Amino acid sequence: MFWNIYKKRILISLRDKDILIWAWLFPLMLATLFHFAFANLDASGTLKTIQLGVIDNAAYQQDLNFQNVLESVSGESEDSLFKLWSLKNQEEADDLLENGEIDGYVIYEDMPLLMISTNGLRQTIIKGFLDRYLQTKDSVLRLIEENPEAYLILPELLTPLNYTERILLSNSTQTKTVGYFYALLAMACLYGGFQGLTVISQMQANLSAVGARVTVSSAGRFRLVAYDLLGGLTTHFLQILTLVAYINFALGISFGSQLWFVLFTCLISSLLGISFGAMISATSKLKEQVKIAILIVISNICCFLAGLMIGDINYVVMQKAPVVAWLNPAARISDAFYCLYYYDNYERFFLNIGIIFSMAIAMLVITAFFVRRQEYESL
Amino acid sequence: MIKVDSLVKRYGDLLALDHFNLEIHKGEIFGLLGPNGSGKTTAINCMLSLLKYSKGEIHLFGEPMRCDNYSLKKRIGVVTQNVAVFNELTVVENIEYFCGLYVFNRARLKTLVDDAIAFSGLEDYRKFLPKKLSGGLLRRLNIACGIAHQPELIFLDEPTVAVDPQSRNHILEGIRKLNANGATVVYTSHYMEEVEQLCTRIMIMDKGKAVATGTKEELKAMIRTGEKLTAEVYSLSEPILNEIRNLNGLFHAVYENDLLTARHAAGGNHLALVLDILQRNNVAFRRVTSEPPTLNDVFLEITGKELKD
Ligand SMILES: Nc1ncnc2c1ncn2[C@@H]1O[C@H](COP(=O)(O)OP(=O)(O)O)[C@@H](O)[C@H]1O
Ligand SMILES: [Mg+2]
Repeated sequence: MFWNIYKKRILISLRDKDILIWAWLFPLMLATLFHFAFANLDASGTLKTIQLGVIDNAAYQQDLNFQNVLESVSGESEDSLFKLWSLKNQEEADDLLENGEIDGYVIYEDMPLLMISTNGLRQTIIKGFLDRYLQTKDSVLRLIEENPEAYLILPELLTPLNYTERILLSNSTQTKTVGYFYALLAMACLYGGFQGLTVISQMQANLSAVGARVTVSSAGRFRLVAYDLLGGLTTHFLQILTLVAYINFALGISFGSQLWFVLFTCLISSLLGISFGAMISATSKLKEQVKIAILIVISNICCFLAGLMIGDINYVVMQKAPVVAWLNPAARISDAFYCLYYYDNYERFFLNIGIIFSMAIAMLVITAFFVRRQEYESL
Repeated sequence: MIKVDSLVKRYGDLLALDHFNLEIHKGEIFGLLGPNGSGKTTAINCMLSLLKYSKGEIHLFGEPMRCDNYSLKKRIGVVTQNVAVFNELTVVENIEYFCGLYVFNRARLKTLVDDAIAFSGLEDYRKFLPKKLSGGLLRRLNIACGIAHQPELIFLDEPTVAVDPQSRNHILEGIRKLNANGATVVYTSHYMEEVEQLCTRIMIMDKGKAVATGTKEELKAMIRTGEKLTAEVYSLSEPILNEIRNLNGLFHAVYENDLLTARHAAGGNHLALVLDILQRNNVAFRRVTSEPPTLNDVFLEITGKELKD
């Protein structure tokens, strides 16, 4: 029975034009579009180096470490994160800020403070940079307090490269654009919802004639739905893999070197997409078109907040509404890819995977609760 | 085989089945005949445990029917009123899918699928997607999907709606074959000719109730009409019509649009008597017919309305 149902579901899902267009062709097309859009963006130089002023006062002079860190990511070249403007006093800085010549400036009193006049992408990046710096400095100080011998490796801990190489949102083309592609991939995974939605609609007696026919057969309820969903998952996973391959090989976007973890992320994320669609379909009797609309709208809001249309919006959401950010499936999926690309340790990666997986299981449990029914008040 | 006791089913305020009773024996082709909305589909869906009901008991094969009684469900074949096939699967794949829900042995599955295709005359359409099939062929596919696993009890809910005459005959012939091979058949329709041709026993339904049950002969014996007489008559005066009405054993004589119709009990020579009256009064007539009553007449006499749409 397994092979019969499983194979037929794969056939059905490969021949369903709606699914094919939304869950596969559309993301492929969007990826291609991104590719060309970013090529233009870079050429027109919109994403130039951030102009950062620093008040050159006594406190700043004394913190050699901070100076080092700032200088290590600054310079005249296009690749540098900041171009530093050394400023005599705050009046001068305010003038420059008002004229828009600098994006913000740092004034060092007890600690570096950021002054900005507008709130935008560049300002967010500066702020992120400062936060990172202070956090790291804090932990290093604590480390030394607790283990004085760590003092010996202090130079290494504070090597500026540590900040720039991995953690920072730097300004190079690759780092700017991967975020968009990861968010796009998250969208494609969530669009697995089309598979889940179709499967459940075709299994529920109150949703379709086929559903009624299947329900009166002698096939066990849960096995039937599970095999069918598994077939849908297989198709969707394969489609996601072709998308990953396309983005990686044809468009030259890197996913880092950990192939197996990338595949694993795709699989778990596809599962989440399928479960999401299954839940939407199982829980109500709305028309199929309405359910598809709900699916698309929710997925797109999630993807928007994960940075599909405006990069770094995910960063803003994380600061302003961390709960939303952590519970946003699209943000977790793109962040998982992000972690694989940027971080060496897997802590945050597995936290993301854990959240994605838990959400998928929760949605499947809800689905199961509704799918269990075989008798209805009316059809 | 099937026993339904005082089944009551409500949709909100609407009473769809009102203390509905039914008993079907092994080997029958049982017809549920009734106009649209009389509760045929509702009754079948209750028997299949698709619908919850407010009151009553349903036994299939002597066992109480429950939605999780899979061993009972295995012996049942269902052909739903709305065509239930996957649009993305071909004819063979669809039959394989549904048959595969009951039969797990691959070799046996293959034989059964081939049998079902031959049975429904779909050999030339094996690789066709449903949307490429005509209405009649699509219905035949729907039936093939429902009966491929060779069930002992088959429910067919209006399998001939919107079907060309050729496919209709094919379908009716097929149902007779299934029955001859040992299957008990429950067949619903609002076409009385079909039911009359096909079914060994018939229940006439109206408004969620059984109006009458029996073989077609038994049903026809239940009403007064034994014979129906019609004659084309040009200008018939009221006194002559009254004379006809006064004939013994004749009732319900009307004259409308140059057509005289009358119903009378079986036996007697009413036809000759009526013609005699016409002749005596020099009334011209032509095209005289006399026929036995149909199930429509049964329905008409019991409920006071026509069965036809
Ligand atoms: N899901 C439903 N909700 C409310 N009323 C229904 C529903 N299904 C059927 N009915 C009503 O129940 C009655 C019987 O319907 P049905 O069993 O489909 O009749 P039939 O199959 O004989 O045409 C009709 O009056 C119909 O309008
Ligand atoms: Mg019906």
